[in-house]
Amino acid sequence: MIIVALLMATQVAVQDPRLERLDPETRIAVSGVIDSARSAGLPSEPLVQRALEGVTKGAAGTRIVTAVRRLSSDLATARGALGTSASTPELEAGVAALRAGATPQLLAHLRDVRKPPLTMALSVLADLVAGGVPPDSAAAAILVLAPKARDADLVEFRRAVERDIALGAPPGAATSVRVNAGAETPNSLQSGPPGNTPPPSRRP
Amino acid sequence: MFDRHEDVVERVIQQLRRPVAIDPGLDARVMREIAQTPGGSRGWRVWPYWASLAAAAVLAIVLVAHPRSRQRESADLLQFVLVAPQAASVSLVGDFNDWDPARSPMRTAQGVWATAVRLAPGRYRYAFLVNGVEWRADPAAPSAKDDEFGTPSSVVTVGGKRS
Repeated sequence: MIIVALLMATQVAVQDPRLERLDPETRIAVSGVIDSARSAGLPSEPLVQRALEGVTKGAAGTRIVTAVRRLSSDLATARGALGTSASTPELEAGVAALRAGATPQLLAHLRDVRKPPLTMALSVLADLVAGGVPPDSAAAAILVLAPKARDADLVEFRRAVERDIALGAPPGAATSVRVNAGAETPNSLQSGPPGNTPPPSRRP
Repeated sequence: MFDRHEDVVERVIQQLRRPVAIDPGLDARVMREIAQTPGGSRGWRVWPYWASLAAAAVLAIVLVAHPRSRQRESADLLQFVLVAPQAASVSLVGDFNDWDPARSPMRTAQGVWATAVRLAPGRYRYAFLVNGVEWRADPAAPSAKDDEFGTPSSVVTVGGKRS
């Protein structure tokens, strides 16, 4: 009976009922991409969420399939750079960093210099670029900070750069100034165990 | 006068964004109340062997079908706020609620809409749906630069240990 229950559970996972919100043609195509990703050892949940985002936003089926397929490909690239032990959040953040302009080599380098999880470091990199910081400047800053900064320090670094940009500072200059300021403030960026501290704030 | 009003709104937002303190003993008290309710143990007439199998089956289905539920124990409670005085309804939708507008409706206090969601460590895309038709990014959060569906979204990252 347990075996039967497990088989039923597996079937539930394969035919994710959430995908019933997609039209039949799109659902078949998206399910195919998800099945392939799962076979390759990639996480399926981010793909499901991207499809659901598309359908909730009223996107055309072809656009949803394209987005899911592209995400699957980027997840594979991120995993190639971060390693097979990378968690789903790390892979998702890795995709964001790649799309922000980081190279797979940079992701691999980050993995070498920082203890896991890398989720926050990769996310901050992507967020800096989204905020106008040139990808090279953002990548250089994260590589400098990554070995010792805590997750909370990285979040505060991003906010400080965003504040400076909002006040009129050139994004690249704001980033480099804040990196140097952090390097000169041992209590801010060089205390505590690296990489394993949740952010102090509960706001996005 | 206008500046003073904005200052008040800003202070309200700051208050709404503060972590919600939940009494750690709440679960224990609730379970104690349930245990003391008369007739609370009725209905367990199933043979224990079959009950165990049924429980195992249900657990297996939950774990396989909803892998993220395994991370809930390390989730943080985050508050999301949008100032939209003219809105009749605002929903929070994102990777954490299957992009379902019905799952996280927001409540308003004089045009300041807010809701709280428990999130496990990870990076999440989300947006506000105003009046059921208008998509808005969170002005207080980084934007999702790779939006592929033509509407704005934001991202929130919750730090934590490897899951």
